[in-house]
Amino acid sequence: MIQISGLMKQYGFNPVLRGVNLHVPAGAFVTLVGPNGAGKSTLMRIVATLLKPTAGEVKIGGWLMPQFSDRVRRHIGLVSHQTLLYGDLTAAENLLFFAKLYQLDHSRDRVAQALKRVGLAARERDAVRTFSRGMMQRLTIARATLHEPDVLLLDEPYTGLDQDASALLDSLLKGESENGRTILMITHDLVHGLNLCDRVAILSRGKIVQEIANGEVSGSEFLDIYAQQTGRTAGLTKNAHG
Amino acid sequence: MDKLAQSTSTTTLFNSPFLTAVGAIVWKDLQIEKHTRQTVSVMVMFSLVTVVMFNFALETELDAARNVATGLLWATILLAGTLGLNRSLAIERENQNIDAILIAPIDRRAIYLAKVISVTIFTLLLELVLVFVFIIFFDKPFWRPVVLLVLFLGTVGYVAAGVLITSMTMQTRSKEVLLPILLLPLVLPLILPAATAVGESMVVAPEITIIRSMVSLVAAYDLAILATGLYTYHLVVES
Repeated sequence: MIQISGLMKQYGFNPVLRGVNLHVPAGAFVTLVGPNGAGKSTLMRIVATLLKPTAGEVKIGGWLMPQFSDRVRRHIGLVSHQTLLYGDLTAAENLLFFAKLYQLDHSRDRVAQALKRVGLAARERDAVRTFSRGMMQRLTIARATLHEPDVLLLDEPYTGLDQDASALLDSLLKGESENGRTILMITHDLVHGLNLCDRVAILSRGKIVQEIANGEVSGSEFLDIYAQQTGRTAGLTKNAHG
Repeated sequence: MDKLAQSTSTTTLFNSPFLTAVGAIVWKDLQIEKHTRQTVSVMVMFSLVTVVMFNFALETELDAARNVATGLLWATILLAGTLGLNRSLAIERENQNIDAILIAPIDRRAIYLAKVISVTIFTLLLELVLVFVFIIFFDKPFWRPVVLLVLFLGTVGYVAAGVLITSMTMQTRSKEVLLPILLLPLVLPLILPAATAVGESMVVAPEITIIRSMVSLVAAYDLAILATGLYTYHLVVES
């Protein structure tokens, strides 16, 4: 579903991505981990059609980007650490706006269903700025999946969430994965990243340095690999990755 | 073949998806204004303060004030307009909301046109108030249809240029400073004929040919800047 080959991105003379190769099959959940400055967000912005690469190829569903970005966009949903929601609009108005942008049929019904799915039906008429961070992130999931995209891109979705909100987000993402969506998540929070995914890729200094299937190694072995590949230790507990 | 690869969509300027996207963004901007009342009210307050200050400054010379009333009107609209432009684009900067619009399957030109329409509506509401205030303070016939037509055309051109410049400066650190510095010289070819047309239409025996040629210049500027915006906006937001 997502095929990235030899992807490079340079800002001026500063190379951020140095030939990234990654394949995310249809229906798979792949987590990309890496330290700050590894190029994770740049990679995500390119896959989300928000940034053009300097060299290399990104194909989603067979469409080459950025040439066919217009055709790919309908099939992508993006959840970012920024909510991408309008604080002065109500929850329902936010979703209704995006339903209109995506020209969805029966938009009001869809909005009502989406709010119910993420447990915010009772707050549909409240301004989003009055929501907690966890509620905003649930609404963000509703926004990103409103048009039922084939591909869900998650850019540090756990940022700012407490334990309960993170657990709720886990269950929502698990549901999306079970619904057959292809998911690519980038995070530096390995605990959540590893528990949900089928496969994890380590991005370091602009390159994918290792890919590991879930269950292939134990949590502590993964930490050792991560530290070896990135030169940094990850601040996480031993319950990560099994 | 992949399910996704089989799908096709073609967007042209005036087909239905384009207008739906324009309508959605305008609706969203109006809803936000309905809830917050932050754009028009700030523009109106700023304008009233400006007009009152002008009035006090020119109080001893009432005739002089009347002679420069047209210029004062346009100066007030230009200055208050930058507040509206900044506020309108700031909404998209908060929470990086512009990303959510940019990954939607819509033509970039729809974003530009929608922003022009929203800010034009806000500025026209401001002008409704200003026209009344100027009639009261300067005792000049600002209500004449020609004056209102020039105000409308001038506002469209000003906002069309403003949305383009605001979008260009949106990601820069000194955006609030850059906007007037870049925008005001750019709209000079619009404001000169617009002010001349408004001034001429308020004299006792107006020269129709002068008014007609000035209005034509304003309309030509509108078309040129709208065309430039529509065909370059995707470069602005994707760079």
